[in-house]
Amino acid sequence: MGGGGAGRVHKVVIDEFRNYYSRLPAEQLDVKDFVKREYAMLHFGDQTMVRHLRFDSTSELRRRLVEEAPANVYYSSAYYRDPQADDMNAKGWEGADLIFDIDADHIRTDCKESHDTWACLDCGCRGRGFPPEACPKCGMKKIDTVTWVCEGCLDTAKAEIFKLIDEFMVPDFGVALGEIEICFSGHRGYHLHVLSDSVRGLAGDGRREIADYVRGIGLDPKEHGFRQVPGNGPILGPDMRDGGWRGKIARAIYEFVSGRSQEELRAVVGPVVADTITKSKEKFLQSISDTPPHWGGMRGYSLESLLKIANAAAKEHVCNIDERVTLDVKRLIRQPNSLHGKSALKTAEVSYSDLEHFDPLKDAVAFNSGSIKIYVKEIPRVRIGDCEVGPAKGTEMEVPMAMGLYLICKGAADPRL
Amino acid sequence: MSKMLTKEDLAKYPFLDQSAAFIAGYNLTLSDLTAPAYSGVVDRAVERVRRSIEGGAGAATLNLGDTETEILSYPLALALVYASGARWLVNRFATSEAKRCEELLKMEAAPKLAEIAKSSFGWKVDLEDLRLEWERLTFRLGLADYLEVAPQFHSPSWKLTNKYVDKGYVFLDTKDFSRLLAENLKLRIIRKSGEEEAKNFELPAALQPHLSGILGLLEGKKELYEDEFPEGVVDEARPPCIVAIANDLRAGKSLSHMARFAITTFMLNVGESVDGVLKLFSNVADFDEGKARYQVEHIAGMTGSRTKYAPPKCEVLRSFGLCVEPDKLCATVSHPLNYYKRRVRAGPATSAPRGEDGRRGGRKGAQGRHR
Repeated sequence: MGGGGAGRVHKVVIDEFRNYYSRLPAEQLDVKDFVKREYAMLHFGDQTMVRHLRFDSTSELRRRLVEEAPANVYYSSAYYRDPQADDMNAKGWEGADLIFDIDADHIRTDCKESHDTWACLDCGCRGRGFPPEACPKCGMKKIDTVTWVCEGCLDTAKAEIFKLIDEFMVPDFGVALGEIEICFSGHRGYHLHVLSDSVRGLAGDGRREIADYVRGIGLDPKEHGFRQVPGNGPILGPDMRDGGWRGKIARAIYEFVSGRSQEELRAVVGPVVADTITKSKEKFLQSISDTPPHWGGMRGYSLESLLKIANAAAKEHVCNIDERVTLDVKRLIRQPNSLHGKSALKTAEVSYSDLEHFDPLKDAVAFNSGSIKIYVKEIPRVRIGDCEVGPAKGTEMEVPMAMGLYLICKGAADPRL
Repeated sequence: MSKMLTKEDLAKYPFLDQSAAFIAGYNLTLSDLTAPAYSGVVDRAVERVRRSIEGGAGAATLNLGDTETEILSYPLALALVYASGARWLVNRFATSEAKRCEELLKMEAAPKLAEIAKSSFGWKVDLEDLRLEWERLTFRLGLADYLEVAPQFHSPSWKLTNKYVDKGYVFLDTKDFSRLLAENLKLRIIRKSGEEEAKNFELPAALQPHLSGILGLLEGKKELYEDEFPEGVVDEARPPCIVAIANDLRAGKSLSHMARFAITTFMLNVGESVDGVLKLFSNVADFDEGKARYQVEHIAGMTGSRTKYAPPKCEVLRSFGLCVEPDKLCATVSHPLNYYKRRVRAGPATSAPRGEDGRRGGRKGAQGRHR
């Protein structure tokens, strides 16, 4: 939850946040069953979340946002009978949207090497890129990170949200595009809200099954039709047109075998089997795409090797979600069209049809006029809207308001009068 | 009555909405059932409860010779179970009813099963008859209905990840579908016991002696349901997941937060001391005794919120990749503490406690809260 906290509070940021909310039409704050949601806010310079708020109307919420100009605004994924009750058990839980969170920070991307740094708080060891789980030098786990998002990170997150919708939500879970809302979080990723009545009543354990499903947790190819007829008989297996993970595994194996080098295949099944399959690749791919498929169409490999390929291939089709968000039935989630205190970008709703061309660093910009003088401490190359700055260190510059606020909110710059 | 369901079906499945309607047709209250004319019904009701307590093969039986008694005795048996106020009995009765029904359901034709699911449980289900290479999946069940029940099962084959899922439906064969129906029946019986109506329920006076008899029977089975752990930790009774974490710790490996939490809560709950737990961590490279002690004491409920934490259930451990090499017993439990409890109960022949004098005494309530 960024942007609140004990960092320095700059009046210009609060003023600009207030201006934004005064310009915002109240209806843009509407969410499904608005009055049943709990609201929460985190203010600049404050570490305590103000919770258990309930608003009668979006204009009442807007008024509060103009008055207080909070750093972050959240609403509950849950629907409550009494959202304002301050005892969670007294709220009267009536269901919750199903939420998925995809955060670029949690996904390994090559670009992190160029814009992220980490430092071990215990021994001072430093490095670039995706932070290690424990310090490679002293083994301690207190790692401080300075992370930035670039187009590369955000594209990866977007690809992941497409995967979630196109390969899981629609075909497997039967969710209609009209029942989902996609939001750019305002900083590093995307949220997907599934608003269908059918998922509203799901308990935590059911949501965990859904989270595990998209993450491929517990996936066992043997449960998806792979079997050898006793007595060294033919190998049976899934059809690429099958539903769910059953079909995904079949397609994944096809892709894996057709797209990977012999070396890569060797790493999975060892040289003998890999060489056998590579030699007759066309035949192998043909037999497994037949109707019905022939998984043991040639000699030289066993069911075990197939299962190894299945496991390796399936891994590439899982979706990288933050599972904690999905299985929480009382999550506080960012309010659409509110500002993110760590970026001054807005939490922007995007329709599925616009998603492909959506450019978060441009389309989620909330401040389109004015400029500001700042002192930059240290930044990599940064783009906001059409403006690009950096890398830079210890320098003053005048930049468009959106860029200035972004860098100030990230803690990488201070305003100059 | 639905055309598909006969009176015999109502006797077999007295939980059906149609059975309730059948009883309503008699216009009887529970007190009416205490009249001599219905002594057979009362006897049968008591027998149903008794059998569920005694357990064993055929815990719940069926008498199709007298369908009316069979149907009428079911709500009475439930009333006795709820009036006992014993959670163990509710679970036990629910489990034996579920088992009994599952055996019968498995033999039914698919359309009847679908009808039962729709009319009594409100499930979104239809017959699809999907034929795969060597399987035949006859039922198509709405995802939400599936997810309401299936997480109760712990074998990997019940994970949604391992099911045939398509367009919001889970495809199931007759065996799995019957199992789900039976499990849902069990859940309904258990959930209802928590509702005000069941809690405040007053049994007609004439039935009190029967209740006393049942409570007496329960008393004799006490050792089966009380949470008892021997004094001294029985290392051999620890489940594979905890053993694996302990081995990693001994090897000085750096562990995830969840792994540390799991072993700490587990060991504390089976009676290990804070010092004993700290000793487990002493080989780890970044071990800081002061900090660790604070954390372990917090988890033990000695400091901070005073909540004594219980270890995560199997499902959670599985999600965090901490469920390793599950054995046969694992397949039958949903919580690492239950595994431990069962292994300990299996007797000193297989596992000796590690307590200094090897004494095995009951320690009630050591289990903390994990439900």
